[in-house]
Amino acid sequence: MNAVDLTAVTKTYGRTRALDAVDLSFDRGVTGLLGPNGAGKTTLLRIVATSIAADRGDVRLLGRDPHGSHAELTEIRRELGYLPQELGYPGDMTAFGFVEYVAVLKEWNDRGRRHREVRRVLELVGLGDLATKRVSKLSGGQRRRVALAQALLGDPRILVLDEPTTGLDPTQRADLRRTLSALGGRCAVLLSTHQTEDVAALCERVVVLAGGTVRFDGTVTDLVATAAGRVWLCDDEPGTDALVSWRTGTGRHHVVGGTPPPGAVPTDPTLEDAYLLMLGADAHAVRAPA
Amino acid sequence: MTTTWHVHDDLLAAYVAGRLDAIVGASVEQHVARCAECRASTTPLVDPRLLARGWDGIRDAVESPALPLPVRLARRCGLPEPTAVLLAAATSLRTAWVVGAFLALSFAALAVVLAGGELLAPFLLVAPLVPVIGVAAAYGHQQDPLETLVVTAPYGRTRLILVRTVAVLASVLPFTVLLGLFLPGPAWLAAAWLGPAVALLPTLLALSSFVGPRVAVAVVALGWSAVVLFSLRGLPATWPVEATQQLVYLALAAMSLVVLAARSSRDRRIGAVL
Ligand SMILES: Nc1ncnc2c1ncn2[C@@H]1O[C@H](COP(=O)(O)OP(=O)(O)OP(=O)(O)O)[C@@H](O)[C@H]1O
Ligand SMILES: [Mg+2]
Ligand SMILES: [Zn+2]
Repeated sequence: MNAVDLTAVTKTYGRTRALDAVDLSFDRGVTGLLGPNGAGKTTLLRIVATSIAADRGDVRLLGRDPHGSHAELTEIRRELGYLPQELGYPGDMTAFGFVEYVAVLKEWNDRGRRHREVRRVLELVGLGDLATKRVSKLSGGQRRRVALAQALLGDPRILVLDEPTTGLDPTQRADLRRTLSALGGRCAVLLSTHQTEDVAALCERVVVLAGGTVRFDGTVTDLVATAAGRVWLCDDEPGTDALVSWRTGTGRHHVVGGTPPPGAVPTDPTLEDAYLLMLGADAHAVRAPA
Repeated sequence: MTTTWHVHDDLLAAYVAGRLDAIVGASVEQHVARCAECRASTTPLVDPRLLARGWDGIRDAVESPALPLPVRLARRCGLPEPTAVLLAAATSLRTAWVVGAFLALSFAALAVVLAGGELLAPFLLVAPLVPVIGVAAAYGHQQDPLETLVVTAPYGRTRLILVRTVAVLASVLPFTVLLGLFLPGPAWLAAAWLGPAVALLPTLLALSSFVGPRVAVAVVALGWSAVVLFSLRGLPATWPVEATQQLVYLALAAMSLVVLAARSSRDRRIGAVL
């Protein structure tokens, strides 16, 4: 049994088809979800987090049906940690108070054990010293970490993180990667991001989503391999048939896709190159040519 | 911490024994609070049990936010501790309390101004709506900042709304009951207004499951106002709460409960009806 099983899952908002017959399964390990704005990443994560229901298709979480009985849904939610893409914070709450509130909603009823757990997750995201500070007085990145802390309460078996690294400084991102890869050994971590470096550094598996459909599903190495021989470095401005190109800091042009420009030297593709090629025409939504 | 400086053994001993002046003491304390290593070296100097209890106690006192007064009072009356944490955090509840208190106070003021005059109709207009407005406020904003987390937590949004509803009723009803006691006219009036109040609540909840709390509260308030205003056209002032009408309210309440039950069993939306 997989932790998450989605079969032909479809979700529409009015006329927008946010997810179109998506089949995906996840189990232990860290899976990264890449895709341009509006690809359907948040929609997919919200379905897995039981925040919204799919219109059609079958959703199985820990072998249970979230549309089934209330008891079944509650069982799933007990094993779930969720970091929404956007989260407001009641201004007068402290970091500790915020996480404690969520802990009560997650049925940590014993005061002593709850306080220890809240402290544990705050330490885990490096906020042990700021626990008594009001959330409204924290920086954007610190606030994001408070939100992350609540998702980690109680070591969930499914951890759904919608853009967890947004707004974090490099040190914090490195810390988060360490925390998440440790968690990945025990539970299914599903995260969306716009940062290909996060995926390369952290995820065993990568899923590329665009226009509500799965474009790629496999290991990071396999995705990079799809771009072999299609990326070059050259001195001159490339022709117009390149998918994307930009002038790097060294003054040379990094060219992805198309026909190799004269004098171009093939170079090792990065995950970002492969991702852009995978998206094809949609790539311009991700990185406009410089 | 990353500092390589640590508190000297002699200094530490003086600190533990309370022999340092305020300034040196404070800086030692600040360092010790952040430095696990120095904390460890104070251990042999202090009774370990006292130390463990001390740190936990201090952290608890500093970190866990104080509960607001009404919640502390409720705690005294047996409110479970986790529920108290939830209620303390609900900004929307504060709004409910403010609204409830405001309505009750303005009504008391009105009573003073109009003493002896035609008081019954305004009372009957306002009193049953006070809990309804309070409960609508207890839903919290549609854009409640924590809404996403409330929906996906095992505690459940429906249960949270019901807990808030009870909290609002508990804090608002005594006001209105007290005011009712001071009303001129037959004594049964003081209790009679509870009939429509009790009927309007499930109506509000049932309507909210279709159109959301804001529209629902507006519809309920308009509907009830229409009943009271209708009674002003030549009927006795007690008409809205007389026996026949009470039966109608009872039927309305029963119907709303049936609707709620039907919707909660059929709805495919995750997170139940409310
Ligand atoms: N609540 C909503 N109401 C209407 N349309 C929505 C809603 N949420 C999402 N959509 C639409 O569904 C599509 C997918 O949105 P989604 O939020 O899943 O994208 P995303 O991949 O998370 O994008 P981003 O990278 O910008 O976060 C978009 O076209 C969006 O306009
Ligand atoms: Mg998104
Ligand atoms: Zn030290």
